[in-house]
Amino acid sequence: MKKILKINDIYKNFGGIEVIKNFSLSLDSGSKVALIGPNGAGKTTIFNLISGVYPIDKGSIIINDKDITSLPAYKRIRFGIARSFQNIRLMPHLSVIENVLMGQHTLASNFATLFRPIHFGEGSKDKLEAKNLLDKFGINVPPEEIVSNLPYGLQKRIEVVRALMAKPSLLLLDEPTAGLNKEESDQLSLMLNQISSDGTTILLVEHNMRFVNNFVEHTVVLNFGEKIYEGPPLLAQKDKQVREAYLGK
Amino acid sequence: MILIQQIISGLMLGGIYVMVAVAFTLVIGMLNFLNFTIPPLFMLSAMMSWALAKYGLPFGITDGPINWLVAIFIGILITIVASLIVERFTYRYLKNRYGDATEHAIPLVSSIGFLLIFTNIIIIYFGSEPVKFPVPFENVSLKFFGLVLGIPQLASLIISVSIVWFLSYMLKTTKIGRVLRSIAENPDTALILGVKVFAIVPVIFLIVGLLCGVASALFTINYTEVSAFIGDEVAAKAIAGMVIGGLGNIWGAVAGGLLVGVLEVLSIHFFGADTVKISVWGALLVILIIKPQGIFGHVKIGKEKF
Repeated sequence: MKKILKINDIYKNFGGIEVIKNFSLSLDSGSKVALIGPNGAGKTTIFNLISGVYPIDKGSIIINDKDITSLPAYKRIRFGIARSFQNIRLMPHLSVIENVLMGQHTLASNFATLFRPIHFGEGSKDKLEAKNLLDKFGINVPPEEIVSNLPYGLQKRIEVVRALMAKPSLLLLDEPTAGLNKEESDQLSLMLNQISSDGTTILLVEHNMRFVNNFVEHTVVLNFGEKIYEGPPLLAQKDKQVREAYLGK
Repeated sequence: MILIQQIISGLMLGGIYVMVAVAFTLVIGMLNFLNFTIPPLFMLSAMMSWALAKYGLPFGITDGPINWLVAIFIGILITIVASLIVERFTYRYLKNRYGDATEHAIPLVSSIGFLLIFTNIIIIYFGSEPVKFPVPFENVSLKFFGLVLGIPQLASLIISVSIVWFLSYMLKTTKIGRVLRSIAENPDTALILGVKVFAIVPVIFLIVGLLCGVASALFTINYTEVSAFIGDEVAAKAIAGMVIGGLGNIWGAVAGGLLVGVLEVLSIHFFGADTVKISVWGALLVILIIKPQGIFGHVKIGKEKF
């Protein structure tokens, strides 16, 4: 199986405190993996290191056989990484369609296209693609609606659609079901299964264990920046170290 | 009839304030800081145009004075370059090095530094006394139903409103507009979405330089007297106009700029030149009491969509 992401022995410290220690991870193409752990374990930090928000101190990150360790954040998306955020980070005053189109910014940008009106020529083709993607995942809202006027669950799904516009091979989802009710969470789960069956690899950080058990086939447990378990989600709950991390000794 | 004539004159004067107010509002709306280099940029365009029209290009490139229109054009170009230099050293360098993306005190304070540098360089080379720009025509006007419309003034109003309309169209309907608005909303997320924020932000400064340069050129042609301090007065009124119209909103800046122009002319007409400041700042005070977010502004300052 082709490896889509290889993280080799990475370290990160903030002000002398080591938040990620000797962390390695290897993801097969098309797999669904959850990164779990107690609060403050360093899960979101791993996402931030992969997407380039912070540089790593030691180690390397390889995606699609390309070493992206020293690449700035804005370049990484071109190598197939797209992500969502723990708190929704849509542009609140932009419309649904504008937000979704921001996702393919890097795929369709050179200096000349920057000054092209959105509604003409290639621009309208991009818009059609964005609308099709929204339709595909059952998001039936007026495309010109300002995104902050929409319900939270819908905004979460729009954020995932925005990430998909970059045609990623690896999708990083930071707590996708946080703040969603059961119905919204089921809709999202349906959507993610569809994305996964299209061949996209999904790595997610999640606290909702029911969702994790149903959705992923592989789990990595993190505690104090170190990997303490890797394997099937159901066995994780029986692992001594994992139980201690969550419940104490 | 006299009142209508005064209002028309006020609107034409307001055209100059509109462009400067839009320059201020763009930087506040997009980058969330008050750009103090706008007054010296306005002054730089006027003074450089005057110097070129009087002395010609330096280092023996031209023998003597150059055509006034060419001088004005070069003045605008110099202003744009100066604005890009400001971006390089206030926004990009200092902010990247010492602040995070939401830190706005750093560019604000360093832009005050540039205000002092630009103003003092001009004073050192050309002095602080007002000088006369050599425009070859005077008082060219149209008579229209008994109203007198100065052609340069009319041209300023049309040019300024057209530039602002084009800018607003660009921000709403082009890809660069969408990218600029997304930087205004959240520069960190824009970066992760693949936007080269540091390469796009100079576009805002380029537009600011262009607006200040053109506004200053129109001011110079209309009023012909320029000095190292002209930027301060125009910018103060433009800031008043921007706040009256609503911070961070382009059409608010247009309405505010025009309103300040009309207020200025009417108060000169009715009460004399000494009362201009009272009426402009009085109007600002009234607006701040009645509707603190300005005529077209939203409550959340700095997060306006254009």
